[in-house]
Amino acid sequence: MQNALLIGLSRQMTLERQMDVIANNVANANTNGFKADHSLFEEYLNSNAHEDNFVGSDRRVSYVQDRGTYRDVGQGPMEATNNPLDMAISGNAFFAVQVNGAERYTRDGKFALSSTGQLITSDGNLVLGTSGPIVFQPTDHDINVAPDGTVTVLEGTAKTDSIRGKIRMVTFDDPAKLTKLGANLYGAGSANQQADAKSTLQQGYIEKSNVNSVGEMSRMVEVMRSYTAIANLLQQQSDLHKSAIEKLADVPA
Amino acid sequence: MQALHTAATGMAAQELNVQVISNNIANLRTTGFKKQTAAFQDLIYEHIRRVGAQASDQGTILPVGVDIGGGVKTVGTPRSMTQGTLSQTGNDLDLAISGEGFFKILMPDGTFQYTRDGTFQMDNQGRVVTAGGNPVQPTITIPNNASGITVNEQGQVSVTLPGSSSNTVLGQIGVTRFINKAGLQPVGSNQFIETTSSGTPQDGIANSEGYGKITQGSLEQANVDVVSEMSDLIAAQRAYEMNAKVISAADQMMQSTTALFR
Repeated sequence: MQNALLIGLSRQMTLERQMDVIANNVANANTNGFKADHSLFEEYLNSNAHEDNFVGSDRRVSYVQDRGTYRDVGQGPMEATNNPLDMAISGNAFFAVQVNGAERYTRDGKFALSSTGQLITSDGNLVLGTSGPIVFQPTDHDINVAPDGTVTVLEGTAKTDSIRGKIRMVTFDDPAKLTKLGANLYGAGSANQQADAKSTLQQGYIEKSNVNSVGEMSRMVEVMRSYTAIANLLQQQSDLHKSAIEKLADVPA
Repeated sequence: MQALHTAATGMAAQELNVQVISNNIANLRTTGFKKQTAAFQDLIYEHIRRVGAQASDQGTILPVGVDIGGGVKTVGTPRSMTQGTLSQTGNDLDLAISGEGFFKILMPDGTFQYTRDGTFQMDNQGRVVTAGGNPVQPTITIPNNASGITVNEQGQVSVTLPGSSSNTVLGQIGVTRFINKAGLQPVGSNQFIETTSSGTPQDGIANSEGYGKITQGSLEQANVDVVSEMSDLIAAQRAYEMNAKVISAADQMMQSTTALFR
């Protein structure tokens, strides 16, 4: 009889975590370049239940556990900002940025310039080009970024473009292997990165979060209802238990 | 329950977002105002099951992990330094910069501040000053018998003096550039000050080497686009409501648990 309680509990714990994942998606509904997470569950069979010692009909107890959170790597909507340093990638690629000496990846293209003219993220981390950071001269103006990431400017009184570098875009065989590190950054871990040839870059646009709010809200209701349904089930189990004890222990005088 | 705290960070972020948007809308008619947008980032993740970990003795590797995020934080409110539209006023001392650069203003304490607001006037000594009464740099003093003030695209100020048939050049209003103009710090009154992030000011001549040109008789309007601000406002409000819904759902879940064993 305890099994129902434990099975219910295992489901409730996974639902609670699914709710946490939904809450994080909703909280990041306005985060540039954010990719939504979704929960996966799996059955966990209790292999060594004591009941197996009985001959015959006992079955193994099946619990639920988290298998993982998978990432929706789909494209987020593009928002026009008219800011020449805002860039959005259409495709699967990521921007490469340098954080504390290590290479990290991001889809958040809200870039700025440092006081020394380097292209940086909102956090002040260097945005990497195909050959190191992208540095602008003090007299540069009319910054133009081509769809392949080539950055050109007009320098001073010059009438022809000068190249300031090429934004590095990288892809991964399995983007799900990337770890979210917070601050809109991903770590590669063991995943292999390669230069991307298919994605295009759009200047003056920002990729918004790909969180589907309607989907998140309906999932939230679903989680909440399942959770309360299990709570009711546990309540009934407990009542059953209670009445059984009361009835059985009620020794007639 | 983590979801409660996560949704709370979301509500706080959207509240700030609405603040930024309302400031943009409030400054819709502020000369030379540059709009801001709030930028957000996700918080660090709790890796409950780490991706790539070994799942069995046979060497099975987990293809996905269980990562639970902690919500959202505001990383900054970057300023969009795009050009605002010029509107004609016809006043001789209304100046607008189209392109790069700021007017340099001398403050009473001897420091400099920078502005795109070219609503200039003359003070009792004939100096060209901002609406706040601080002189534009380099200081230009207009003689009280002068007429026909003209400011050319380079910022050169010339007047006609009585008894003279030609124009007299009084001086040249300078423009100042910053390598990272978005890094300037706003101090109110449409003025900015230099920061370590903006880089050092580079004084120059208007309409030369990447400096914008000066237009007399016009003012630069705010670069706020009402329609996009309104749609951002609606998006922020909806996001706020959704986070509130998450809180109430998480609350109901907790309630069902606490109500369990009476």
